Amino acid sequence: MNSKIYKTGQMRVRIIKSGLLSTVQDMGRTAGLPMAVPVSGVMDAYSARIANKAVGNAGEDAVIEFTYGGAVLEVETDILIACAGGGARLEIDKQMLPSGKPLFIPAGTIINLLNKPGGCRTYLAVAGGWNVPDVLDSKSTCLVAGFGGFEGRALQPGDVLSASGNLSALSQKILNSLKRTVVNCPKWQIPGRDASSSERKIIRVIRGHESGWFDEQSVGGFFAEPYKLSLKSNRMGYHLEGPLMARINKQELLSTAVTPGTIQVTGNGSLVLLMADCQTTGGYPRIAQVAAVDMPLCGQLQPGDELYFNEISWNEAERLYIEQEKHLHQLSATIENKYL
Amino acid sequence: MGYLTFKYRKISGVCHIQSIVSFVEAEMTTSTHMALSIYPISEKAVTIAFGDSISEALMHRITNFDKLILERSLPGLQTTVPAYNTLSIFFDPLQVLKSNLPGKTCREKVSHYLEQLNETETTAIKSESQLITIPVCYGGALGPDLEDVAALNKITTGEVINVHSSATYLVHMIGFVPGFAYLGGMSETIAAPRKATPRAAIPAGSVGIAGMQTGIYPLQTPGGWQLIGQTPVKLFDPARPVPALLKAGDRVQFKSIGVNEFKDLQNRADAGTDN
Repeated sequence: MNSKIYKTGQMRVRIIKSGLLSTVQDMGRTAGLPMAVPVSGVMDAYSARIANKAVGNAGEDAVIEFTYGGAVLEVETDILIACAGGGARLEIDKQMLPSGKPLFIPAGTIINLLNKPGGCRTYLAVAGGWNVPDVLDSKSTCLVAGFGGFEGRALQPGDVLSASGNLSALSQKILNSLKRTVVNCPKWQIPGRDASSSERKIIRVIRGHESGWFDEQSVGGFFAEPYKLSLKSNRMGYHLEGPLMARINKQELLSTAVTPGTIQVTGNGSLVLLMADCQTTGGYPRIAQVAAVDMPLCGQLQPGDELYFNEISWNEAERLYIEQEKHLHQLSATIENKYL
Repeated sequence: MGYLTFKYRKISGVCHIQSIVSFVEAEMTTSTHMALSIYPISEKAVTIAFGDSISEALMHRITNFDKLILERSLPGLQTTVPAYNTLSIFFDPLQVLKSNLPGKTCREKVSHYLEQLNETETTAIKSESQLITIPVCYGGALGPDLEDVAALNKITTGEVINVHSSATYLVHMIGFVPGFAYLGGMSETIAAPRKATPRAAIPAGSVGIAGMQTGIYPLQTPGGWQLIGQTPVKLFDPARPVPALLKAGDRVQFKSIGVNEFKDLQNRADAGTDN
C-alpha cells in the first residue's frame, strides 16, 4: 500500500433534503464501551467498505449512511464519490448512477436519492473520507448522547460536508483518470452483496450463552420458523415477530456486555436483535448471536421482511469472518493493480 | 479489606474527587488459580463469568483482572467491559490470529492468554478507586417525587434526604446509557417502586430511586424512576478527556445543597470550569 498522501482542494456537498435518517458513520467506536457509549457505526459494514474501496480510500473512512431514498445533495466542488448498499438509487438528471464504482461528478451537480425496493441503507463514500472530528477515536454519530459524526446529530438541510482533502495515492490516480467536465466512471465495478427483495433471507447465527434456558420446542422453533421484522425497528435494535420463546430456567440474568448481533429474549418471550446503536449491557437471556458476516444483511432488513435463522458453530463463524476479510483485502489489491 | 492510604485529594469546581488506595488481598488468595469460565459473545469478544451474585468482593476481583488485562495488553485488544459478575474482552480477530499465542482459533488464543493471566495474577494487587462526592439539590421542582418517596416509606422528606446522602455507594458497573452508574448500597428505608407512568423526558442530572436502586440520569431520557433531586454535575460530557465521571469500582456519596448553590454550580459546569 502506497502511504503517500496527496493534498487536494476540499471536496464538498451540501444537503438540500436530508431524507429519513442520514448520519456520518465509520466502523464504530469501541473506546467508549466501558462508559456505556454504544459502538454506533455503519449498519452494513460490507457496503460501506465497498464504497470506500471504490474511491481508493486506504482505511475505513467515514461515510454517510442514508435510510431509503428522499435525500437530495448538491455537489459544490468537483468530487470523487462512490455509493453502495440498498434502499435507494442515486440519480443525476434522471440517470441512475452505478454503485460500487468511483464516480467523478463536476461541481454544481444535483444528486437525488430515490427509493429502491430491496434493502434499507445506502452508503456514500468520498475520496479522502468525510471530515468530521474524532470523538473517542471514531467519527461515528452517537445519536443517544448527541456527539460524534456531524455535530452529534442526523444531517439536516443546509449542512455542508467536506472531505478530508488527504487523498491516498490510489484515490489520486482514480481521480486523475476520471476527471472531465461531465459525470464519469470507469468500466470496472465491485459487486455488491445486497439481497434481492424476493430472496428468502437466511441469517446465520451461533447459539447464545443462555440458549439452554428455553424449552427444546422453542429452540427448535427459533431455527425453523420465520420471523418478521416489526415496525418497531431502528438503529438500536429490531423487534422480531414470530413464535414466542418459553423459559425453563426462570433465573434472573445480571446485566452483562452485549454487542450488535445479540438476539435477546424479552420478558414476554419475544425476540430483539440488537443493532449498531444498542446499549452496551443487557439483562435479557441471549438465545443467539448473528454471525459477523451476516450483520451487513441484517443492516439492510426492512420492517415486514421475513427471515430465518440457521445455526452454525463459533469455529465456522470465525472461518467465514476471516474468509470475508481476505476477500475484501483481495478486492483492494485488484483495484490497486488496475492503476499501476 | 480496608482503606489504607488517602493518596491525594483533588477538589474540582463542582464535585470532590478523592483517590483511595486499597488492598484486596483476602479475596484474591481464595479466588486465583481456579480455571476461568470463558464464553464467546461474538467473533470479536469473549466474556469471563466470575460468579452468580452481586458482591463487593466480586466487583474488586473483576476490576483487578480488568487492570491486569489493560496493563499486559493482549495483541489486538480493543477494550474491556466490566459488569456485575462478568468481564468482557473486545479484540480484533485478525490481530489475535497473527499473534504467537497458542491455539488455532481466536477464542482458543484469547482464552489461553486469559488463563495465563489468571495464573500469574499476584495475590496482593493494589487498586486505586475514587470517592466522588456529588452535590444534589433535593426536592422542589428538581426532585418532584421526594414527597411521594417519603409518604411511601412513612418518613419525612428530611429523613429521605438524610438517609440518601449519608450512605456511601459502590459503582458496580456502567451501562444502560453513556455514563450511567449502577450503584449498590442504598438503604431499603427509602426504596420506592417505579412510577406507573414513565415521564417522557427526565432532565440530565436527575437523581432517582427505582425499587432498591438509586441512580443519576446522565442524559435527558424518558424514564420511570422516582425523582428526588438533581445534580449540576455532568455525569457524561464527550468534551472531557474521560467523558464519564464514574467507573466501575468508584465510590459515591451525595451531599445535599440548596437551590442557589445548585444554580451557581450549574453555571460553572455549563461554562466548562468543572474540571
